[in-house]
Amino acid sequence: MKIHLSQFGKLLISRPSGREAYLVTKAYLLSQSTSEVEIDFSGVQVATPSWLDEFVTPLREQYGDKVRYSHTDNPSVQASLEILRTTPSL
Amino acid sequence: MTEPLIDSATRWVVMKTAQVAPPNEWYASTRDIFQTRLETFLSRTQKSVGDTAYLLTAIVGEIGNNSFDHNLGQWSDVPGIFFADDINKKVIVLADRGQGVRQTISRVMPQIATDEEALMVAFTQVVSGRSPERRGNGLKFVAQIIKQHGWLLTFQSGNAELKYDQGRLFPVCKLQMRINGCLAIIYY
Repeated sequence: MKIHLSQFGKLLISRPSGREAYLVTKAYLLSQSTSEVEIDFSGVQVATPSWLDEFVTPLREQYGDKVRYSHTDNPSVQASLEILRTTPSL
Repeated sequence: MTEPLIDSATRWVVMKTAQVAPPNEWYASTRDIFQTRLETFLSRTQKSVGDTAYLLTAIVGEIGNNSFDHNLGQWSDVPGIFFADDINKKVIVLADRGQGVRQTISRVMPQIATDEEALMVAFTQVVSGRSPERRGNGLKFVAQIIKQHGWLLTFQSGNAELKYDQGRLFPVCKLQMRINGCLAIIYY
């Protein structure tokens, strides 16, 4: 299942909007047959660890290493994913 | 325009009680307004500093949203945040009249006795005043980006100031005045 994050906006900043994006994704984009998830960052201009924590972390909890990222060239995307990897929230 | 901009934010956060919001062009009363202002900020800053604007917008977004995350429903008086920048002087100012860092951190770490300790914890440890909600890495991200780029950040809350400059964290110091809420100034 490929999720185009730019569907949620070009600036992915706040926790509430990240949480809402995850809930909508869970309700309408993921199904029982979903076995892997590709998160495509094309078109995203700014991402923060707060937004990504609300969206990516529950997906990782459900799908583990079957969550992949693509088009992560943007510096804020790279830095935010790195902080999530090295400094996970409690 | 830089000194008046910082002076205006400082005057607003040191007032014992505030009945007036900052000038409209520097004020975001809600998170949605802040988001819109960030989009404009990104667009303007990109023309000046290129791709660095993405990281700048991310750290400004983290600091500004922290104000809403920790103060919704309990602002001291004027809700929302002061958000302004001077693209020529490369300075960004954010401020709120919220509860301040010590109040939020001491909710989960009651042993925190001073504003200085609270600032150090907020920027160096993964902890959140909204525990048990899972959060707490936003200011660590801000610190990392500031350090990596050698930018200057001063962050004041209560009677303490924390500073990062040229990749280094300086000892937290005591202020002469008291900040009601938070005041962040970034030079990039």
